[in-house]
Amino acid sequence: MTFLSALLAADAAKAASHAAPAAPGAASSGPLGDIIKLFGDFGVDGPHLLIQVINFSILAFVLYRFAVKPALGQMEERNRLIEKGLADAQAATQRLAEAQQAADAKLNAASDEAARILAEARNAAKAAVEAARAEAQAAQTEVIAKAKAAIEADRVKMLAEVRGEVSRLVVDTAAKVLAENLDDATRGRLNEAAVKQLAR
Amino acid sequence: MSAASVRAEAKRLLALSLEGGAVSSDRVGAVLAALAKSRPAHVLRPLLRAYLANVRRELTRGEARIEHAGPLAAADADAIAAHFSKALGRPVRPVARRNDALLGGFRVRVGDDVTDLSASLRLATLAKSLS
Repeated sequence: MTFLSALLAADAAKAASHAAPAAPGAASSGPLGDIIKLFGDFGVDGPHLLIQVINFSILAFVLYRFAVKPALGQMEERNRLIEKGLADAQAATQRLAEAQQAADAKLNAASDEAARILAEARNAAKAAVEAARAEAQAAQTEVIAKAKAAIEADRVKMLAEVRGEVSRLVVDTAAKVLAENLDDATRGRLNEAAVKQLAR
Repeated sequence: MSAASVRAEAKRLLALSLEGGAVSSDRVGAVLAALAKSRPAHVLRPLLRAYLANVRRELTRGEARIEHAGPLAAADADAIAAHFSKALGRPVRPVARRNDALLGGFRVRVGDDVTDLSASLRLATLAKSLS
């Protein structure tokens, strides 16, 4: 930069030395001369402009080579990473949605299977309860019938026993009464009647 | 002698002991005397036992054993014996024994046949029909 400044300063001095004699001629060159003069008034002249252009180009090249290009590369890398991250995130979101969908489907299937198993279990339990109830009712009926039959048999047996006992008591009493009250005359008549019965 | 031959011999001896279809004491005595002379003792014992059983059975067959409650007239006993003689086709003599447990009537046994016309049997039948 020092070199360039010195060069620009020398060039400016040289331009200033040539500016005075050329001014009348330039003034007489027309509108182009006016424009050039106007640029000159603003400090813009060819050599300076050229040097500045070269200087700027060098600066631009250096900046581009060592600052902008790496920065752009980094930005592109970052953009790529970001895009990759976004794509990955989107894919992950997609996979998550798919997984969620699959999980929901499996959950629904499991829920349906559970409902089916529960319904089957309920039906089986209901059938088992009905079968057990019917069996218990049949057993109860059988037990009641057997008990009734046993009671009836006991009643008949008791009646027969009572009847037999009463009959035995009656006959025994009658036999005792007859044995005590029958005299020989009566027994003789009974014997005669028996002989007549035998003869018939 | 075997048991069968003993039974057959006893049956033959019983036939020799009958007179007019009834057991005769004279014939029995003659049979016993003949046996004592003709048979050895070890053969005689079973033969005499079988002969005795046959004689008892035949005597039983010729008796009408009458059990009666109260007095039974001799004419009634004879009538009973005559009834069984006619029914069985052989002479039967009455053997009466009083048994007041019969209450009234009588029970006649001829051999293995029993005829019961007693009041006690009627009461027993009544009790059985009521029970």
